[in-house]
Amino acid sequence: MGLVREMDTLLSDWRGRALRFESEIARAVLGQERIIRLLTIATFARGHVLLEGDVGVGKTTLLRAMARAIGGAFERIEGTIDLMPTDLIYHAHLGEDGKPRIEAGPLLKQGEDLSVFFFNEINRARPQVHSLLLRLMAERSVTAFNRDFHFPHVQVFADRNRVEREETFELPAAARDRFLMEVQVAMPTDPQVRRQLVFDPRFHDVDTLVMSVESGVLDPDALETVARAIQLGVSASPTLEAYVLSLWAAIRDPSDYGIEVAGVDMERLVLGGASPRGMSYLIRAARVRAWLAERSMVVPEDVRAVFHEVMAHRIFVDPAYEIDRERIVAALISGLFARVAAP
Amino acid sequence: MAARARWVLIGVGLLAAMGAARADDVTLYAPRPFGYVIGDTITLSADVALDPSLKIDPASLPQPRPVDYWLDLKAVRLTDRGTREGARRYRLDLVYQTFYAPLEPKRLVIPALALAAVSDDRRVELAIPPWSFVMSPLREIAGGSGEAMTPRPDIMPRPIATRRALMLSFIGLALAALGAALIGWQRGWWPFHRRRDRPFLRAARSVRAAVGLSPPDYDTALLALHRAFDATAGERVFAEDLDAFLAAHPGFEPARHDIARLFTASRDVFFAAEAGAAQQELPAERLAELAARLRAIERMAA
Repeated sequence: MGLVREMDTLLSDWRGRALRFESEIARAVLGQERIIRLLTIATFARGHVLLEGDVGVGKTTLLRAMARAIGGAFERIEGTIDLMPTDLIYHAHLGEDGKPRIEAGPLLKQGEDLSVFFFNEINRARPQVHSLLLRLMAERSVTAFNRDFHFPHVQVFADRNRVEREETFELPAAARDRFLMEVQVAMPTDPQVRRQLVFDPRFHDVDTLVMSVESGVLDPDALETVARAIQLGVSASPTLEAYVLSLWAAIRDPSDYGIEVAGVDMERLVLGGASPRGMSYLIRAARVRAWLAERSMVVPEDVRAVFHEVMAHRIFVDPAYEIDRERIVAALISGLFARVAAP
Repeated sequence: MAARARWVLIGVGLLAAMGAARADDVTLYAPRPFGYVIGDTITLSADVALDPSLKIDPASLPQPRPVDYWLDLKAVRLTDRGTREGARRYRLDLVYQTFYAPLEPKRLVIPALALAAVSDDRRVELAIPPWSFVMSPLREIAGGSGEAMTPRPDIMPRPIATRRALMLSFIGLALAALGAALIGWQRGWWPFHRRRDRPFLRAARSVRAAVGLSPPDYDTALLALHRAFDATAGERVFAEDLDAFLAAHPGFEPARHDIARLFTASRDVFFAAEAGAAQQELPAERLAELAARLRAIERMAA
């Protein structure tokens, strides 16, 4: 009983901190409440996030603000075509005395306290880098200098601009599957917010803007524990389980559920995907959302709110439809929630 | 027989003196006796007064037929005029047509007709007297040296005014279409079939049935209402979608509070596994009331 009480207090304390975390970020990034909420969910679900969007919509600012608000050690690296995996691990140069020196690269510099690793323009890096990242994300460890380094708290944020296709490397499906969410960042639609972003001098200097965010609202060392407590403390009823399983089945066989997308042969649209890992991520994220909404049970709305970000990049469609993938998958998912009954 | 029949030739318009009619009496009223040409019809009317015990024997009436090579009997009409002044009276109308082509004016005779009147025990012979008239030729025969008689030109067709008839037809058609539409609407035929789909009507029935069980089947009742919301919105409606649903279907706005309670109760039942709390929030009887109310709103909106 004492334990339960303690967990309840812990969860409600941390809910307050999570909401403060959101409001701190919202001071630096205007008009992106939904994105901030999703990133908060990802943080408390201990999942990696890939941000995607146009150039200059504030992806990097958002991630820097988040890294600062989470606190702990933070490293970032820019993806370039000549970046090699070793560049992440060590840095070789000649010292003042003329002797070669090997120093820890961005990944190892902060040691095992690294809490946020921010990979800018991830699709500019080569597949070799992607595979290193894959291991970092999946196992939270890398091998260097003949030993394994562990990063128990690391959370990877990556961003990718979708405008440029030249000199970029598409992320392999396995790497994408390891991201909890792929979040599309769009421009804010509110004219008031747009005016502020353009004319308010506060938003002109990104560095000072990011510095205005309170540092270390969340304690990265404790995040793991809180995340586990959330997963234990928020329950999913048998009805919800059945609902999620029907959703899963409906992704695989949309035509069985009468889901239609204009101009698409539903029989051959979905090739695969929606892996068990994806579904378990989905429930993890849904639990965090329920916790943020002060509920102790997951409801279908929670699943729906995170579904697109968690699942869209895990659905593999027929190559014929790949070119129009975003529209088709979005339509498929909204059809899913319009058709599958819950409870 | 001829002695008993008193026959009179009277011009049209001179028939007043009927008072003298006696029993078994035939009085013939005929038109002008001259000035007929080929093809004319002649109508003879005979008033027959009989002893009240007698009736004209229908079998003795003449049938329309050619009477002579130049004379046709075209129609026979017998009218029973009832019993008056101690006699049973009939009116017999005979329509003849003459086809005689005289070369000069010529007297012709329509022959007499025999009739019979019967009672239970006797039979009386009656006679319609013969009638003579003068027929004239259509044109002169002798000295026909002048120009030949040519047929007159045909009468030009005269258009019949159809405007009124057309108007009436259109009005009739419009009324018929309106009537068909009304029937279709009432019956829920295409294109009114959507009207027929009243999800809350179905839901209210299911809820009533489920709540009527003992113990009430609370879950089924909730599900029925959920399906009705889904069908009304055209997609699945969750608790968080309530605002959007009410914005799209403002008719349900007055029931907002109760609908919100319904969704809360449903969450308790299905996702928190707290059926007790749900029943407290919204008892089963209230659920039936809510279903009835939603059905009423739906009917107003339809």
